Amino acid sequence: MIGNDIVDLRLACQESNWQRKGYLGKIFTAAEQEMICQASEPSDMVWLLWSCKEAAYKIVNRVTNVRIYNPVKFDCTLLQQNGHAVTGRILHESKSYAFISNRQDSCIHTVAVAHEIFFDRLDIYTGSSWPIHLFDECALMKNQDGVPYMMNCYNNSPVPVSISHHGEYYGLVRRKTQL
Amino acid sequence: MKTMDKETLIAQLKEIVKPYAKDQDALQNINEHTDFVKDLKINSANLVDVILDVEEQFNIVIDNEAMEHMLNVKSAMEIIEAKLGGQ
Repeated sequence: MIGNDIVDLRLACQESNWQRKGYLGKIFTAAEQEMICQASEPSDMVWLLWSCKEAAYKIVNRVTNVRIYNPVKFDCTLLQQNGHAVTGRILHESKSYAFISNRQDSCIHTVAVAHEIFFDRLDIYTGSSWPIHLFDECALMKNQDGVPYMMNCYNNSPVPVSISHHGEYYGLVRRKTQL
Repeated sequence: MKTMDKETLIAQLKEIVKPYAKDQDALQNINEHTDFVKDLKINSANLVDVILDVEEQFNIVIDNEAMEHMLNVKSAMEIIEAKLGGQ
């Protein structure tokens, strides 16, 4: 199971005023609010944590097929930072998800999976155009619940995919296809 | 307290969601069955603003449990009416 979320930081800055009274408390746990306060760039931390919650929500939504809006229930912990990449965990109703988040230009792209061992088995695309090259031999389809997958044109095998778009940026993650 | 007139409540919600709705046609045709995300194309980070605006306008507190369902006009109306009725 995979989920991803992309945030165009310039657009987020125009669309949302996270400093608005009551805003952070509706979305973030007390520990996450503390991380935001302590961060050298609080705004980047807001959107990093937000994208983690969204990416994990997409996994949960894929499984349960139930739409809910309760970001506080997705509890994020950052574990490691390597240059522009941050990894960590998201806890939701006693289930844990691993995430990797990459900062590129003015976007934050976060991918969540059930376990970190799956990171090596993913193709991750982040960019400012739709990745048409990934669809040479595949067609993008959606099942009856609106969950997207890629259908290989040669062997008709479906590959799970998660797609996100915000402002100038597109994010896509899919399971690596076996050749 | 008397139940608020449905039309009035939808009109008030329309004003609240106006700054965040990206689909203007859907906004013009807003009704009980309108979905904030699927129809109005409100960014999920802006749903918090809708909730905060509703709290301010109606002077109510929307807890996390109620917030879970604030995804469409119908649920928003039910939540507002329940909170106002319980006061």
